[in-house]
Amino acid sequence: MVDFRSLRSVCLEPDPAGTTVLTGANGTGKTTLLEAVGYAATLRSFRGGTREAMVRAGADRALVRATLEREGRPALIEAELVANGRSRAQLNRQPVRSRHQLARVVAVTVFSPVDLALVQGGPSGRRELLDEALVAVDPTAGELLDRVDRVLRQRAALLRQAGGRVGPDVLHTLEVWDDRLAAGGETLATGRQGLAGRLGPLVGEAYRALAAGRDLEGVTLAYQRSWEGPLLDALRAARRDDLRRAVTTVGPHRDDLVLGFDGRDARTQASQGQQRCLALSLRLAVHRLVAAETGTAPLLLLDDVFSELDPDRSRALVCSLPPGQALLTTAVPLPEGMEVARVVPVASLTTAPATAGHDERLSAPAPRPEGVP
Amino acid sequence: MYTAPLRALIDELGRLPGVGPKSAQRMAFHLLRVPTEDALRLADAIVAVKERTTLCTRCFNVAEGGGMCAVCSDERRDVTVTCVVEDPRDIVAVERTGQFKGRYHVLQGALNPLEGVGPEQLRVKELLQRVDEEGTEEVILCTNPNLEWEATAMYLAKLLTPFGFRVTKLASGLPVGGDLEYADELTLGRALEGRRELDA
Ligand SMILES: Nc1ncnc2c1ncn2[C@@H]1O[C@H](COP(=O)(O)OP(=O)(O)OP(=O)(O)O)[C@@H](O)[C@H]1O
Ligand SMILES: [Mg+2]
Ligand SMILES: [Zn+2]
Repeated sequence: MVDFRSLRSVCLEPDPAGTTVLTGANGTGKTTLLEAVGYAATLRSFRGGTREAMVRAGADRALVRATLEREGRPALIEAELVANGRSRAQLNRQPVRSRHQLARVVAVTVFSPVDLALVQGGPSGRRELLDEALVAVDPTAGELLDRVDRVLRQRAALLRQAGGRVGPDVLHTLEVWDDRLAAGGETLATGRQGLAGRLGPLVGEAYRALAAGRDLEGVTLAYQRSWEGPLLDALRAARRDDLRRAVTTVGPHRDDLVLGFDGRDARTQASQGQQRCLALSLRLAVHRLVAAETGTAPLLLLDDVFSELDPDRSRALVCSLPPGQALLTTAVPLPEGMEVARVVPVASLTTAPATAGHDERLSAPAPRPEGVP
Repeated sequence: MYTAPLRALIDELGRLPGVGPKSAQRMAFHLLRVPTEDALRLADAIVAVKERTTLCTRCFNVAEGGGMCAVCSDERRDVTVTCVVEDPRDIVAVERTGQFKGRYHVLQGALNPLEGVGPEQLRVKELLQRVDEEGTEEVILCTNPNLEWEATAMYLAKLLTPFGFRVTKLASGLPVGGDLEYADELTLGRALEGRRELDA
């Protein structure tokens, strides 16, 4: 990575199959390294960093280049972040049109202290959790998500332009976008609902393992649509309201994944410790589901998770992780029994002379193969 | 580093779609090297296309000299079938298949509220007027398989079907998200042959 937050030019070579531990004092760039790896895989920051925040102060762009191999197939991901401009990414030297395209070559599971927001926060984090899992297991999901997102933005633009007026032209065009939204929205909600169903038992199992017999409450997952009956009818019914408020009030972007804790809402009626354990269980369940359904465990990024957990829970988490490549930062001693393949002091990376031959710009795009547009 | 005219040429070339600064520089130096008459031929072609190309008064395809396009001027074309496309480039793609004998209507865009394009910005009124006056029986919505065009097709179908026109769209088989202009003749020909009624 080049000019990514505090990192000027750093090359990280994790162990290909086991756990690599990144060590260093506070502020040396441990989380930043995980964030850069996560960015290359998802084109998002797991700690919610904005583009400007991720570009090193004083630089105008950052670059993350990742070479990886999955099921014997090599891939090259290059992501460029421009502080004030459009960010770009290339997969095998071809432009990436949607970030979901990358899910075909790499999946990641991130555990981090901000995960608590999955349980305590609003529905968007929980929808995102489902969507990321959906994209990892279903090759058509990425396109569906992009499509639904685009219809929603088109519909929002139309509602804004209508300015509350309901002329025949507005009605006619709204009708068309509603139809597209209904088709995509039903498919997406059905997909998420199915996923929530498969995830439920895994979350319960993970929770019981992590809680190590201490709270044996039943954990439930329920996908809650923001509408009843066919979505097209719900959109028609909401039209007057939507026009007045210039927002789309029903649809998959308003749904939630309700987490139950012995029949109570975990968001408002579980203890902080229970919530933390539940957030961890959700991540773990998604990780195991993706590993089971795709045959490849996602790359694990564990940022400082053990400092939030007591030794028993830490050990239980480590025992629940399927074998695979992992990158881990920690400020506290590792749980007993954790196998470490490589230890990398972050300071050794940042003080190493910049590796010659590492280009600081995106590679030139490869010519298109013949006959492919 | 560059002379002012060279700088200007690189800047202009760099504004063309799909041309980055590197290729713009390469093209500019290439033009500098080639014989003067070759470079002037390119300049003349650009001037000619701007001065002499107009839009067809009937279908909004490209035309020459302020009149009708080659398709509209051809007496043998079937007036009962109108193929609606987004852009004149799509006409080139359909003509290459050699399978379509009717006329065209270029809408000049697709519904796209995000870019401020509604029905008023498209040649929709003109289409309605034409099908009413020209004895059209079937309207083929020859749309690129993307979201905005699907929405546009549905919008047009809603407007046209109540008047008893047969409204069809291309059979699937075109790559999703792919542009019509890149579809090969065979695929497009087959899609044209297997067109289906659109339910509005
Ligand atoms: N855009 C930026 N430009 C330059 N430096 C930055 C930028 N953003 C963050 N930093 C700095 O990067 C350093 C590394 O931060 P990071 O969060 O990676 O540390 P860490 O090793 O994870 O620390 P901790 O152990 O406290 O979690 C910090 O000193 C921070 O101030
Ligand atoms: Mg940190
Ligand atoms: Zn014409």
